[in-house]
Amino acid sequence: MSLLDNLALGLSVVANVESLLALAGGICIGVFAGAIPGMSATMAVALTLPFTFSMPPIIGILLLLGVYKGGIFGGSIPAILIKTPGTPASSATTLDGYPLAAKGEAGRALSMALYASCTADVISNLALILFAGFLASFALNFGPPEFFTLILFSLTIIAGVSGDSLIKGIFSALLGLLFATIGLDLVYGTNRFTFGDPNLMGGLNFIAVLIGLFAIPEILTMARDPRPRDGETRALGRKGVSFAEYRKSFRTIVRGSFIGVFLGSIPGIGAAPAAFLSYSEARRKSPNKANFGKGEIEGVAASEAGNNGVAGATLIPLLALGVPGDVITAIIIGAFMVHGLQPGPMMFVMNVDIIYGMFMGLIVSSVILLAVGSAAIRAFRYVADIPRGILFPAVLVLCVYGGYAVNNSIFDVGVMFAMGWLGYLMLIYGVPAAPFLIAFILGPLLENNFRQSMLMSGGDATILARGPITWFFWGLTIITIVAILRAGLKGRGAAPVEEVRAGAQDETTVRRDAQDTKS
Amino acid sequence: MLKSVQFQVGAAAVLMSGVLLLYGIPTWVSVPTNVSRIVLSPAFWPYAISGVLMACGLALVWLARSEVAQPVEVGDAPPGAALRLAAMAVVMVAYVAALPLLGMVWASMAAFAVSAFVMHTRHPLAALICAVCIPLLLYGFFAHVASVAVPQGLFVRLP
Repeated sequence: MSLLDNLALGLSVVANVESLLALAGGICIGVFAGAIPGMSATMAVALTLPFTFSMPPIIGILLLLGVYKGGIFGGSIPAILIKTPGTPASSATTLDGYPLAAKGEAGRALSMALYASCTADVISNLALILFAGFLASFALNFGPPEFFTLILFSLTIIAGVSGDSLIKGIFSALLGLLFATIGLDLVYGTNRFTFGDPNLMGGLNFIAVLIGLFAIPEILTMARDPRPRDGETRALGRKGVSFAEYRKSFRTIVRGSFIGVFLGSIPGIGAAPAAFLSYSEARRKSPNKANFGKGEIEGVAASEAGNNGVAGATLIPLLALGVPGDVITAIIIGAFMVHGLQPGPMMFVMNVDIIYGMFMGLIVSSVILLAVGSAAIRAFRYVADIPRGILFPAVLVLCVYGGYAVNNSIFDVGVMFAMGWLGYLMLIYGVPAAPFLIAFILGPLLENNFRQSMLMSGGDATILARGPITWFFWGLTIITIVAILRAGLKGRGAAPVEEVRAGAQDETTVRRDAQDTKS
Repeated sequence: MLKSVQFQVGAAAVLMSGVLLLYGIPTWVSVPTNVSRIVLSPAFWPYAISGVLMACGLALVWLARSEVAQPVEVGDAPPGAALRLAAMAVVMVAYVAALPLLGMVWASMAAFAVSAFVMHTRHPLAALICAVCIPLLLYGFFAHVASVAVPQGLFVRLP
């Protein structure tokens, strides 16, 4: 079938009230969660996942994609109005969004953020439609050795989600790989770390692990420090964005969208670097360079286009290769698995209706985001006022229902709480949770493909470099590792200089304070 | 003496991998006698991961040698933070234990109310109303829409 035939098939799958309601509902949940400081798009997707179990696969996946897209945009609302990014991806939006809000032009900044987000979303979705199928048809030639090298390369995405310390990210990923070995062995069916408990024979439940890692630590953080958050909500002001202003920023938006698409299609880069790169490019090319950081509307457009351009593109490696592009798509993999679907090249053969239904749903979601986003901008004041002392106990109860509903298992609820405390410990020790989750998902695939390769070759390891595809991925893996190590060494070399500078600055401040006290 | 966070994480990794390599994997991973090659053994992957974990832990310890010691804290917390965390641990253990006895709805109501109290809610009446309504709404969805067999408990059963 041609691309157009497939798209028509996809349209027939989603052209119904249920699909549209799922998308709209998902976007509302995402915008709502993204707009609440302390909640995140990741947490929203994780908590929505259990509600999709009883839905048909396409409806459930559209709901989650709606949450994802809504969450990314929702994060820009508090970034502009209270200088607190709802998601890390919105950090760049704060640079010009909040100064605009301080000038009484919050409505203008938010409208531009919305239009830039929707435009970038459309471009990102078109890139997904054009490239995912092509990549998947190429990946159909992969055997276990090729998949092993691909997944090994994908594990280098851990560098992108490790935060400040790569080595702590690797530690987290190793814990994820280790926890993924719990259960019956894939080849011999013998017990591994089951301690004789039948509940552990199927391994740790993925949903319980992810809810535990991403939602419970937030509840514990709130319990530890229940003080209300600081931050004054700025008024919207009357001014919106005129078509002329949008047209003036259009080139920046398109450039930012392409940056987002490019970085989003590489596993592990994520939305925040795309937003900052798009912002710095816009600043470099703008005639109003000096105004950036002081309330330049083009700055808001650039950062929002960058972070929303990533949203569709992260689905390219997910759908074409079965490799998550970031932590949210790692959770969305769980949704596919719960519905008995395995993302990857075979899905383009076996479930072409679902794939193209999703594509069409994503296109529609950009229009729905425009409508929901406009309403959300006006309703933010009420969302921000939800008392955290009620919100987080509600999240706790939601986690328990969600954790239980996967397998009707109280044991899974216990696993979720245990993982929650592990996640909290990781949080206070600065060990990132995202590499754990990604390794937990990719671990069994990596081991399975490795052992299948070994079975095929009779234990001969040279099969792992049997042809151009494996060489390509080995090459990419080595280049990425070398680049990461070089960046790490440069960072360590620069750190003492920064520390000296910071120390000198602190000393100056202390001296100045002392002088002030004397006078 | 106060050690840096990096050192503590590294030491934990070394300790964990040591326990796994020397005791955990030989004891808790069953290896059939007919395994022809070591790479196909069920223990190969855990051994490989534990080995890399040991290397990672040693690297963390080595990198920590130049670090300044710092206490493990995230921001400054108001007094009673440890007590509230301990209370949440008790709530979670009691919640899991109460699920088969009281049922999910009643256990959730109690857990909601207690955790709102632990989190010093400034809206106790609203919290109490939500503590009753939210578990009931979730029960309605999961039991009647998603057809999940929500635990009912031994005392009061819901329709």
